[in-house]
Amino acid sequence: MDRSFLNEVSRRSGQTFEGCFHCLSCAAGCPVVEAMDYNPNQLIRMMQLGMKNKVLESRAIWLCIGCYSCISQCPNRVNIPALMDTFREMALEEKIQVSEPAILSFHKAFLDQVRKRGRVFELGLMARYKLLTGTFFQDMSAGMQMMRKGRFRLFPSRSGGRKQIRKIMEA
Amino acid sequence: MRPIDYYPGCSLVSSGREMQESFEAVAQAFGHELKPLQDWSCCGSTPAHSISHDYAFLFPAQNLVLAERQGVRDLMVLCPSCYVRLWDARRAVLEDEEKNKRVERLFGQRLRGTARPQFFVETLQGFGLDAMKEKASRPLQGMKAALYYGCLLSRQEWITGFDVEPYRGFLQELIGSLGAEAVPFALERQCCGAGLAVTKPEMSDRMVDRIHDFARRSGANCLVVFCPLCHMNLELRGKADHLPVLYITEAMSLAMGSPHAKVWLGKHLVDPQPLLSELRIA
Repeated sequence: MDRSFLNEVSRRSGQTFEGCFHCLSCAAGCPVVEAMDYNPNQLIRMMQLGMKNKVLESRAIWLCIGCYSCISQCPNRVNIPALMDTFREMALEEKIQVSEPAILSFHKAFLDQVRKRGRVFELGLMARYKLLTGTFFQDMSAGMQMMRKGRFRLFPSRSGGRKQIRKIMEA
Repeated sequence: MRPIDYYPGCSLVSSGREMQESFEAVAQAFGHELKPLQDWSCCGSTPAHSISHDYAFLFPAQNLVLAERQGVRDLMVLCPSCYVRLWDARRAVLEDEEKNKRVERLFGQRLRGTARPQFFVETLQGFGLDAMKEKASRPLQGMKAALYYGCLLSRQEWITGFDVEPYRGFLQELIGSLGAEAVPFALERQCCGAGLAVTKPEMSDRMVDRIHDFARRSGANCLVVFCPLCHMNLELRGKADHLPVLYITEAMSLAMGSPHAKVWLGKHLVDPQPLLSELRIA
């Protein structure tokens, strides 16, 4: 059995995963599990079996919100949020086809803001996300409600720390 | 006025501005003034840790270095997500010499760990319940609040050292000191959908509907929240009838008769005014 995937995920995340005994507490408590193609514990098993592509191509790794419900319910405190972060980072590095492109677009639009200003300008974030995903008309009324009530700041602010941030992001 | 150093955060100056302003009003009434961290930058939030281990610790670390440079000891944070990210990075950098070397190279200074992020609920507790009761000149009689903590107040104690559990009694008494009542609420820690509200609105709709439905069945006539993203999702998402959603600090300001409370509440997407009129609160 090829253990290289498991070893690499363990090294990158600083976590071990032998503790999982598939009790399904993580899956039972996950607020988005019904939309996932694999349960969190299944991803652990697949990783142990060396099924690298199947794991990194899965929708589940992008749907994870990072709410920490899984780890708080896990009897062995298996760090699934750290596992998901590592899977996503590897999927991007290895240029695996991302099966939830809209979610990745949101992350990118958000980080674009951080790169540009050192802070997130929410209106700019939403415009960029809509542009990246071509979903200008989806959810219009929600955005209009927020605008009408004056809930968005209309002008961006910048941080003096943006130079270092650019350095980090362009490294 | 005694200063409170704090980390503002991107939501708190935009969609979550009512949380920041109402906290500031409460703090002022207790003799404190807010001092924002100079030149703060984004903590990176979910998108940073979702795709890069480097962003996850370097973005927050930049702010912690700034805080140390500015001589801050307690750095109050309002947004639970910023709060968790700051602690996560602080721990990662202080435990790993390699990471701290990168911090030094990038920001010109090592992280020493002299600045400690403090969650605003800890700060509120410091204001004192008796003092709060005294200041609540316009008690919120008849308000039945479902306290909604969401994910980040209740599951990351091993990262931040903060858990809502030991504060539960305090928060219930705080609501009581305003003349309102906290009802038992089973979904107090259920996720609101967080960032999926943008990318998967229909999933967030279901999650939010369920939270409102449970709150109503618990006898609540409003939800009280502690997070700008929870607030936005609980108002914006969901198809069924919504209860009004108040920040804890808005409820406090309202009971203290703050003239600005009407302005904040007027910006809510679920208008709290019918409830306040019915209860003859405002």
